Formats: sequence, C-alpha cells, structure tokens
Amino acid sequence: MEGKLPTSPLKNTHRKISKTSLEKKEARDAWIMMSPAIIILLLIAVYPIIRTFWISLHEMVLTDPSSGYPFIGLENYVKIFNDQRAMDSIIFTLKFTVVTVFFELLLGFGAALLMNKAFIGRGFVRASILVPWAIPTTVSALMWKFIYNDQYGLFNDILTRFHVIDSYQAWLSSSSGSFMALVITDVWKTAPFIALLTLAGLQMIPKELYESAKIDGANKFQIFLNITLPLVKYTVIVALLFRTLDAFRVFELITVMTGGANRTESLSVYAYNNLMKFLDFGYGSAMSMLIFGVVFLISLIYMKALGSKLTDF
Amino acid sequence: MKRGKMKKLLVTLILAVMMVSIIGCSGNSESSGEASGGDGNDKVTIRFSFDQGVGEPTQKIVDKYNESQDKVHVETVILPQDANVVHDDFVNKLASGDTSVDVMALDVVYVAEFAAADWLEDLGQYFDESTQSKYLPGTIEGATYNGKLVAFPWFTNASVLFYRQDIIDQLGVEVPTTYQGWMDLQEKVKGLDEIKYVSNFQAAQSEALVCNWVEYIWNNGGEVLDESGSPVVNTAINVEATEIMLDLVENYSPEGITTYNEPESEQVFLDGKSLFIRDWSGFWNSANAEGSKVAGKVGATTLPIGPNGEAPHSALGGLDLVINKFIDDEQKEAAVDFLKYMASEETQKEMTLISAQPPVLKSVYEDADVLAEIPFYEKFYGIIEGGKSRPMSPKYAKVSDAIQRNIHQALSGEAEVKDALDQLQSELEELNK
Repeated sequence: MEGKLPTSPLKNTHRKISKTSLEKKEARDAWIMMSPAIIILLLIAVYPIIRTFWISLHEMVLTDPSSGYPFIGLENYVKIFNDQRAMDSIIFTLKFTVVTVFFELLLGFGAALLMNKAFIGRGFVRASILVPWAIPTTVSALMWKFIYNDQYGLFNDILTRFHVIDSYQAWLSSSSGSFMALVITDVWKTAPFIALLTLAGLQMIPKELYESAKIDGANKFQIFLNITLPLVKYTVIVALLFRTLDAFRVFELITVMTGGANRTESLSVYAYNNLMKFLDFGYGSAMSMLIFGVVFLISLIYMKALGSKLTDF
Repeated sequence: MKRGKMKKLLVTLILAVMMVSIIGCSGNSESSGEASGGDGNDKVTIRFSFDQGVGEPTQKIVDKYNESQDKVHVETVILPQDANVVHDDFVNKLASGDTSVDVMALDVVYVAEFAAADWLEDLGQYFDESTQSKYLPGTIEGATYNGKLVAFPWFTNASVLFYRQDIIDQLGVEVPTTYQGWMDLQEKVKGLDEIKYVSNFQAAQSEALVCNWVEYIWNNGGEVLDESGSPVVNTAINVEATEIMLDLVENYSPEGITTYNEPESEQVFLDGKSLFIRDWSGFWNSANAEGSKVAGKVGATTLPIGPNGEAPHSALGGLDLVINKFIDDEQKEAAVDFLKYMASEETQKEMTLISAQPPVLKSVYEDADVLAEIPFYEKFYGIIEGGKSRPMSPKYAKVSDAIQRNIHQALSGEAEVKDALDQLQSELEELNK
C-alpha cells in the first residue's frame, strides 16, 4: 500500500533542468543567498559543539586557575563511567525516558483516535487538550509542585475525597513518589503533542480507503490494523523521535519540582551542576558531549526506522 | 574560477560578521573608556550589579551617591532575584575577563570560590584593621580569604527562631531554649488553636538545608571543619545533632518538610499551623504583615541548643561588595570610593531604615532612630553576634552539594544518620585533597 504513494515529481524535473546554465546560475545565487544562514549556523551550532568537545579534553576547573587547564585527553569521559552519581543519573534518565514516552504514546494516540471521530464539541476538545502543551515547562512544573503539596495540594484533596488515601501525603518526599509525580507531570504536559501530530497524520489518510475497506467487508479492527496503523506509522515515529529526545534531556521539570533530590537527578541536571555550580567545565563539557552523542544516536535509530520515508514526505 | 569567487564571497561575509562583532565589543569598552578619560571634568563611570531583591532601596542610595559628588558616576545593572542566576551571571562575566561591571554584590557563600578563581580585587589596602574592627567580626571573617580581605560586607542576614508568643503565654511556660524543651510542648499544644506541628524549618535538598544542618551541628557543640580546615563530620556529637533533626522531621514537623524551602515552611507558620519556625530575620516583617493569621502574636528568640551545646549560633547570610579584578586602575579607584561610601555609618543607617536589611556596622544597632523603627533589632544584635559563617571553601558549591545530598537522604529515611555522615565525611575528605 505504501508503494502506491506517488513519488515526488520534483526529483525528475530537478535532474533535467540542472544541466542548463540558467539552473547553474540559480544554484549559485541560491548558495550566495544561503551563505549568511550557513555562516550563522556554523557560528552558533557547529562552533560551540567543537569548542565543547575541545574543552572536554582538558582539566578545566575555573576555581583552580593555577592548574593552567592541562590537556588530559579522554580522561573526563573515563571519569563519567567511574562516577557512581553519573551512572545513577544515566539510569534515572533512561528510566524516565522509557516510562514517560510509553505513557505519552498510549495517551496521545488514544486521544488522537478519539478526536478524529466526529462528535459534538470536537473543536473545543481539540483546543483544550492543547493547553497543557502550550504552558511553559517551568510554569507547569511549579503548578504541579503545588498540586502535590502536603498541606494545600489538590492531589491530596481529590484522593481523600474519593477515599483513596486517609490523610494528606507528601508526594515529593520519597523516591517512588517523586518519580511518579515527575512522570505524571511530564505525560500531562506532552501527551497533547503526540496527540496533535498523530491527529494530523490521521486526517491525511484518504476517506476513500476506509470506504472501500468497508465495502470489502473489513471489520473495525481490520481497518485499524491494515489502513490506519500503517499510514499513520511514520507520523507517530516522528512524534516519538521528538519526545524521546526531549525526555532524554529533561531539565527544568526536575530542577523546579525536586531539584534532583530523592534520586531524580537527570543527566542534564548533573551536567548543569558540574558546569555552572561546580565550575568544572572540563567534566561538565564531557557530560554535555555524552548527551549530544546519545541524542545523535537516538535520532539515527529513528531515522533508520523511518528509512527513505523521511525524504518522501 | 567560480569556486574562487565563491570563496571570496564567503571570506568577505565572514570578515563582515567578525567586524560587526568586534565593533559591538569595542563599543562597550569605549563607552566606559570614554567616561573614564582623564578630562578632569568628566566623571568616571562605574557599573554596579546586584539583584532585584534589594533593587529599590539600593537604587535610592546609588542616586544619592551620584548627587553627592562630581568624580564618580555609578550606573546600576539589576539582575533577577535568584541567587543561582546572579552567581551564574557573574561567573560568565568574570570567567571571560569581562569588564562591563566594576562592582558586584556577591552572596557571602561565593566569596571564597570567586577569590580562589582570582577574580576579586584585594581590598586590604583600602580598609585598614581599625576600620575592619568596627564591623561585625563574622561578616569580616566571611569576606576574608587566605588572610586577604577580598570583599567588603554590605549587609548581613541571620536565622532566628520565631514562635507563637500567644500560645506560650496560654500554656504559661517559659520559652524553651533546647530542642528537647520544644519537643516536650507537643502534648500540651495539641488542640490549642490550629497548631498541628511543633517544629518547622527548611529541609528540602537545597542551600537552605545546609544552613539548617550546620546550625544543629554548631548548637550541639560540633563543627563541620576543624581549625586546619579538615572535615570532622561524623563525630558522635554531630551524629547526635543530626538525629535530633531527624526526630523533629519525623515526629514534630509537617509531613512534607523534606520538600520545604522558605516559602513552603513560611506558609505553614503564617496559617497558624506550627508553634515555631526557624527562618531568616526578614520573616519578622512578613509574619506581622497584613493578611498574616499570626500578626502580633509572634515572638523571636535564639535557636535552640542540643544536649552538648553551650550557646546558640545562627548561620550568617547576606551580601558582600566585590571589585572586578580586570578593570583598570582609574575604575578601581572610583569603585573603592563607592565601596567606602556604602560602608560608611550614614549609608549603613540609611540602608537599614529603608530596606530593613540587617547592617554590618556595629554602631547602627545602638542607633536610637533605628531601634525606634525596628525594635526587634535589640534582640537581634545578640543573634547576629553569635552568628557563624558556613564552611569557607573555594569548592563551596561542591561542599554544599555533598551536605545537601547526604543530609537529605538521612532526613528522608533513605540512609541511616551514621552512614550518611560517614559518606559525607569521605566526600569532603576527597574534596580536601
């Protein structure tokens, strides 16, 4: 079914005209016009990465200028793997990423399927489901921190009203409570993002496909499995890619809600602490490079899953 | 041919971008350089950076300074009221040798770190011993690193035990001076008013926890570092002090106390739910402000002591003024003049009156005008005098982080007190190497 999707006509025309001198001139003009953007990109994206990598090869603790910041090769990277705290933060980050992305996918996909159906007030539901995603992370983290408060929190109020718990709990005072609270907040905030992208994918599926499937006598489950799922797959993978990367770099949510207490220090938070708090630029940079590397790897894996489809869209 | 042209174009563009950035940079230094030009009539302009928390009163003082004389003009650079943001902004500037600010108001705990990085001007030559002796010894000590005066205290801050005077009166008891004494009141206060908790302080994993914990240690006769600066954390009296803290957390405080910073703990006290709260001196104003359920019912005293403690000590906070080491001599001279003005008796008194920030000059605490305005200061002077600085270290951020993590684990029941202190001891020893 995927094979029947029309391939881009642009490719062929491009190949034909590029041989003319007009096209050559246009290509050159295009480069000239793009060059400011390319230079800016080199300056603000490529240069810092190279610079960070360079710093990560040095022992550079700003509070110790007498050391002269010696070159130490990959020692900072070795240090990460001998540092129990760094390892704990990596494990926490992976756990957080897997759990949040799983629930976000489940909820987001479900919400998208519901919103794709015609019902009264659909526009209102679509708009309101996006509200959590529109709120800045720091603000929603502060808000949820108050919701989990042991004296005034809404969470305690609701749970006691429904007799789930007898007395108010301090949700953010234990490891398991903090983890659960962070996951709920992150899912609440970002499931709408998956829902939105998935909905866009669902709406792109031609109605005729469903009609002919019905005529052929396919049941709802068969339609979902053979039409909806394959056709929405790539949109969902793109959404998952974004979410995985974001979850892996989780920072503000943790800084605001727990400050890394109760074993909730993520790799980004630990890297930030090393850089800005301890002024250990060498080690902090090595950790930043590690995050960059993992994020790069995750992107590659997803790209592989997407295959040539990414360029076709 | 075409490739060559392309290259040329790229080079021109890169040059253009670089030119713009160079002009941008020199623009800054030029403006301050121009102002400092030795024209005689021209004023030297210096820039003073501090946080919004003291923004309004400080601006008034700076305006007054600018009017008072014709040599120096002070411009203000105001940062958000967040110790971390301010710290990071100063680090960014000083690490790159930036000269766009000349004078900075630095939180006392970062003085050692900045001094170790060699970013601060030595002030010993401008403020002699006899001048220094007029100021609170704890604050001068906090501004000294490796025997050098690298900062000058501006105003200080100390913790106080605020309690419900009305409840103590109802019970007809003396104000307790020990932790045990406060704990013993638990049975008696139950059901009185809306009191639910005897104790209340800040035990979230943050800088506030460090302040609280060192007070339990000091007030049980312990220390974090010995005379030579080596860690002495896991002694028997320190274990005892931390266990008292744990007992208060588990049995006498709000359930979520290990998630509380100042705002959360203050809210519980303001709602009349706790008998006492350990907080910074400035809380006196909010406790008695309109809208507070406990206004007019609050007493203030020194912190309690433990079984081995002899005298109560509060952790000192506050801001110091420092001079950027990278600015030129003319700017430095102007900056010193400004610092002397800020430290003078007249300015200290005025700042106290308009901001209610505790001054660093001893004489202000005896000033009749000040006492008439803030009667609480009579008691407070003793508290400040007994105040101690948190452990001084160029690696303070790491020391603080180690204390925060280990003590928080002990208080939230993730580690035994003794194990947590052993772990903390070994982490601090590692840092001391």
